[in-house]
Amino acid sequence: MVDVAVIGVGQTRYGMFPERTLKDLFHEAAVNALNDVDKGLDPQDVEEAFVGTLSTGGAQLGNFAPLMMEAAGMIGASARHIENACASSGYAMRDAVATIASGQANIAVAGGIEKMSDLPREKNRLWLGISGDVEWERLAGTNFAGIYAMMARRHMHEYGTKKKHITMAAVKNRNNALANPKAQFRAPLELDRAMKAPNLASPLTFSDACGITDGASMVIMCRADMAKSFTDQPVLVVGSGGASDYVAIHDRPSMTALEGTKRAAKRAYDMAGISAKDVDFAEVHDCFAIAELLAYEDLGFCKKGGAGKYIESGATARDGKRPVNNSGGLIAKGHPIGSTGTGQVYEVVNQLRGRADTAERQLPNVRFGLTQNVGGSGAAVAVHILKAVE
Amino acid sequence: MTSYVSLPMFGANVDERLRLIAGKCNGCGQLAYPQRPVCTKCGGDQFEDTPLSGEGSIYTYSMVAGNGAPSEFDDEQTMTGDVLCGVVELKEGPRVMVRLADTDPEQLEIGMKVSAVVRRLYDQEGIVRYGTKFVPQKS
Ligand SMILES: CC(C)(COP(=O)(O)OP(=O)(O)OC[C@H]1O[C@@H](n2cnc3c(N)ncnc32)[C@H](O)[C@@H]1OP(=O)(O)O)[C@@H](O)C(=O)NCCC(=O)NCCS
Ligand SMILES: [Zn+2]
Repeated sequence: MVDVAVIGVGQTRYGMFPERTLKDLFHEAAVNALNDVDKGLDPQDVEEAFVGTLSTGGAQLGNFAPLMMEAAGMIGASARHIENACASSGYAMRDAVATIASGQANIAVAGGIEKMSDLPREKNRLWLGISGDVEWERLAGTNFAGIYAMMARRHMHEYGTKKKHITMAAVKNRNNALANPKAQFRAPLELDRAMKAPNLASPLTFSDACGITDGASMVIMCRADMAKSFTDQPVLVVGSGGASDYVAIHDRPSMTALEGTKRAAKRAYDMAGISAKDVDFAEVHDCFAIAELLAYEDLGFCKKGGAGKYIESGATARDGKRPVNNSGGLIAKGHPIGSTGTGQVYEVVNQLRGRADTAERQLPNVRFGLTQNVGGSGAAVAVHILKAVE
Repeated sequence: MTSYVSLPMFGANVDERLRLIAGKCNGCGQLAYPQRPVCTKCGGDQFEDTPLSGEGSIYTYSMVAGNGAPSEFDDEQTMTGDVLCGVVELKEGPRVMVRLADTDPEQLEIGMKVSAVVRRLYDQEGIVRYGTKFVPQKS
């Protein structure tokens, strides 16, 4: 297998952009990524492209990827749309890595995009509930907040986790986003106030959820042996794992673990030749606060059932032993569904190169960074491990 | 705006929905409910229709806040606000996501005994879709 290196990353600000089009947003992410390739890259040299999106409510269902490549100025690349719900661009990343690792292409890009704010609430209720087992989960009346809420209630029941431990993840991530100029929600949040927010899906409240976000991102990769001709600071993709699971939570033997995360993480750790203890920091899929606690356990950062104590110890804070969602995560940086996976890679690559946008949030001495991107309630999970080149 | 589970598609598993017919694996006897094409225990794909008792207990639940539930439930949400959902563990073993009814959410707890009743689930294209909801068992 050929080693793969990231040579440029780009991301738009995440937020609500009523006057911008899909093409315009994707163009910005692409220009941002191309400008990030220090020694320059001719966009025509991109051979393969993988674009993640859930499809923005159906705005452009067919030939989505070629249209985005046009907007990126990368006309001619072999391009296709990748869809795995909220893990769409985590899987775009996996496929771009695989196409280079297999020797099929020298240069490939993974990208992602979503524009959610243009959709009326009624349409969002249609559209955000189609990634579960529609016949049984959706038609029982639940949305994804409800599904994660049911996992949260089981975790509280089985392990004595308190609601405050769950909400601590949301509070940490909101406050982390204050220093991230590309984050959507940049207002401080205190635990007391968060605990009093209105019900979203009990036991979860509005404060425990990600929002409605527009945004796009892109990661440019090449064969590692070519990387130095593009940049002095390539970042290696040392691990890539993907896995699926039962789509409906009622079919899973346990509702307090995502087997998809455990399987994907094992594959990524094995490929990288490392274990959880080697991971210096991570961006994980905190679509609802409980998901971050499950990720701690499933990725092996703490023991099963110990996530409440683990977050309370401060281990995952910006100044903790293993910062998690230093960017603000999905809850505060934002969750433009199709963009989230490559947006996580954007963050991890910048941290590993010591190029965080503000000094305040640059993590010191980081070597291995991990991303975990979850589709739906865990039906598809992609995990990547990236490593700084010394 | 609703997702499109067509009437024929909805009708295709009406035995499971209304009469709680599970599939019993011919290979190993494991029950599949909702039914599935392949047994998760032995990989067999031949099943025998087996009715369930409709009795079970609450495994987990959530009160989905008004206007959060899928759009199929919009009329109902307008009238009653929140939508109460949960996973029920049936006496025979399988678990299933369902609507919970005839109860005050404050009274609910994991392990509470419930049983199945046929109720209206939602309307689409002017046609009622019936389904099974679970209600607390009378003590
Ligand atoms: C959480 C969610 C329902 C909020 O809906 P929204 O339309 O974005 O909400 P808004 O920000 O417009 O807020 C709606 C109201 O709730 C209030 N609100 C929002 N967050 C609040 C909080 N933490 N505390 C108190 N009130 C809050 C707002 O002030 C607003 O009230 P107003 O209309 O009187 O101003 C929505 O963001 C959502 O569905 N998120 C999940 C998305 C999702 O499922 N993604 C896929 C994940 S798998
Ligand atoms: Zn069997």
